[in-house]
Amino acid sequence: MRKFKIIVVENDEDEQFFMKQGFDSSGLFEIITMVRNGDVLLEWLTDNTATLPDIILSDLNMPGKNGYDIILGIKGNPTYNHIPVIITSTSSTKTIVDKCLNMGAADYVVKPETFIEYVPYVENLHRLIEDKQLVRNAGGLPS
Amino acid sequence: MQPNCHLLLQNIKEAIIMLDKDGYIQYSNPATTTITGYTANELLNNHLSLIYSNKEDSLRADYELRQAFKNGKFLVEGWKLSKNGDKFWCEISLTPLYNEQEEHVGYSCILHDTNDRKKHEIELRQSEERYRLMVEGVRDYAIFMLNPTGHIITWNEGARRTKGYSSYEIIGKHFSTFYTAEDLEDGKPERELKIAIATGKYEEEGWRVKKNGSVFWANVVITSLFNEQNQLIGFSKVTRDLTDRKENEESLRQSEERYRSLVEQVTDYGIFMLDEKGRIISWNEGARRMKGYNPDEILGKYFSIFYPEEDIMNGKPSHELRVAREVGKYEEEGWRLRKDGTMFWASVVITAVYNHTNTLIGYSKVTRDLTERKASERALRDSYERYRQLSEELKATNDELMLANQEMEQFTSIVSHDLQEPVRTIKSFLQLIDMKLNQGQYEDLKTYISKSINASNRMKELIQNLLSYTQVSKKEIAEDEIRVEELFNIALQNVKTTVETTNAEIIIESDVDTIHGDSIQLVQLIQNLLSNALKFTDVDSPRIMIKCNKEDGQVKFAITDNGIGIAEEDLGKIFEIFRRLNTKKEYPGTGIGLAICKKIVDRHRGRIWPVSEKGKGTTFYFTINEEKVEKLPLLQ
Repeated sequence: MRKFKIIVVENDEDEQFFMKQGFDSSGLFEIITMVRNGDVLLEWLTDNTATLPDIILSDLNMPGKNGYDIILGIKGNPTYNHIPVIITSTSSTKTIVDKCLNMGAADYVVKPETFIEYVPYVENLHRLIEDKQLVRNAGGLPS
Repeated sequence: MQPNCHLLLQNIKEAIIMLDKDGYIQYSNPATTTITGYTANELLNNHLSLIYSNKEDSLRADYELRQAFKNGKFLVEGWKLSKNGDKFWCEISLTPLYNEQEEHVGYSCILHDTNDRKKHEIELRQSEERYRLMVEGVRDYAIFMLNPTGHIITWNEGARRTKGYSSYEIIGKHFSTFYTAEDLEDGKPERELKIAIATGKYEEEGWRVKKNGSVFWANVVITSLFNEQNQLIGFSKVTRDLTDRKENEESLRQSEERYRSLVEQVTDYGIFMLDEKGRIISWNEGARRMKGYNPDEILGKYFSIFYPEEDIMNGKPSHELRVAREVGKYEEEGWRLRKDGTMFWASVVITAVYNHTNTLIGYSKVTRDLTERKASERALRDSYERYRQLSEELKATNDELMLANQEMEQFTSIVSHDLQEPVRTIKSFLQLIDMKLNQGQYEDLKTYISKSINASNRMKELIQNLLSYTQVSKKEIAEDEIRVEELFNIALQNVKTTVETTNAEIIIESDVDTIHGDSIQLVQLIQNLLSNALKFTDVDSPRIMIKCNKEDGQVKFAITDNGIGIAEEDLGKIFEIFRRLNTKKEYPGTGIGLAICKKIVDRHRGRIWPVSEKGKGTTFYFTINEEKVEKLPLLQ
């Protein structure tokens, strides 16, 4: 089972806490960093181009650069545009899902009902990434 | 006696010649020279046959002399020849002469020149012959003679054709053969002859009978003929078969009648005739209705009466006739006058009318009142235009609705999505509390409860802001006249606590007294902008400048702060609902305030825009109409 390097973007500190628990206990992901919005994410990426993640999981609604901004920022930058961005949010409103996918999101995953149910969420997320082969060159970092 | 005899012979106009027994001339008087052209000497001892038309026709001369001798006298008329070769017609009277001893000694020959009489006679005969031939040859008229009793004595070709009898069948028959039974019973033939005798002529048109029994409509002229002694010698009768003509005339009359009544009864077209000078000579019902004149009022008037003064000054009526004369027809549409002086838009066709000898006898004029048609065309156009406008309006409204609908859809999806977040947070903590309680762990419970309370507060805040946002969209906006000063005062009053706690300095500069709009909304607008100015600051003493002045027929507001400013790339996002921009420190809020501001300004048909530099403060400008706006947008 491959372990993906992931960055989680989430503004809610409590949510962040429970997400981290879920990811850590599953052992399926290695969280490189957790940031509170797109502004911080892009700053981090600029500072850490040597250790780019396999995948970015981002909340949609955040103060500052939100999920949409992140999709545009990643997809519009040749250094990062190979990194799949998965949007995660509370509801599966079709117009919002469509908007994210149209803008270039790799997928859209609905958050669990409560913070405390992140383990099955993380397992499902891993399966999805593998099934869709969202991460291409296994193990290696992009050149 | 002797001198008298000589005088007689010298002066008498008849040629007197004495011949011997063999016919040789012994004497000739001067008249002989006058008639024959030969002198007495030239004639002397020549045979009488010298003047016969066949020169030297002695056989004939001898015969005649012998006849004279035998019968005591011989008379003959015939051609004789004068010296110059001219023929002349004369009467010769030959008588034998005897001496006292009763011995036959010769002949007397008297030549009586009847040349002139003969010529006349010949001409007469030739002329009669011509007439006879002519009459006989006439094919279209039956011309024949009746004797005084009315029996037919001549018959021509025309009579044969008209009545069907050949001359041998009809000559000798009474002319009453040609009459109908009724006419015969009525004694018509006899009466006609009586009238002809009394007045010289009888003329009529009536029915006559042909040989085959069919009748024909005849024109009949009977002329009584009298000789020099004024005795009735008969009648000439000329008959013409008018059946065809009568039929033609009748059908022509009927056709004319049909057309006349047709034209007269036409009500939608004014149809009338002009004489060659342009005077009105006929007038139909349509013309009466259209122009208002009765026939007795208009007949004889010049047609220029229908033209407006300007056209008359320009010589238009006569020009139209000239064109019609030159090219056969004049056509146009134009204004014409009615009797009451009102105008109507007419379609006019003037046609030149010629008779069978190609002489211009006048013009026909057909006029149609297009006013109604034009009016209905215009009405149609207007109504089309109205519908077009309406449909454009509908289309615009539809577009607006579609936009609004899209916006609404996005709005509700955003709202439902964002409202779920705090609900989920509350639920998560409640579940955690439940788990902890089940496990008998109580240490974190208080934190979880207060986090739940925070989330529900945020939920409440979101819902309240949403309500005010939808309120701005939903409500019919008022159009009050609002004093600007008061607007500022109320708004400042509402943020008074914040102003005091932040120790902010507020400066107002306004040279505008009043504006038009919804006072509640405008207060909210200013209040929101002031709140933002007070909130997004990191200095100890915020300074807020409020300016208000007139610009381009509108009132322009500016609210300037010395706060944190907005990054250039974020300027386009600030009015989005639920949008909260990145800041170094966390500022509370739901991201609805500016969305509400934008909505209020939109609904007032104004404009709102920020000018900012990160770290140096922000100015929000917006414009509001000074005067009432005709119609404020339904939506947006």
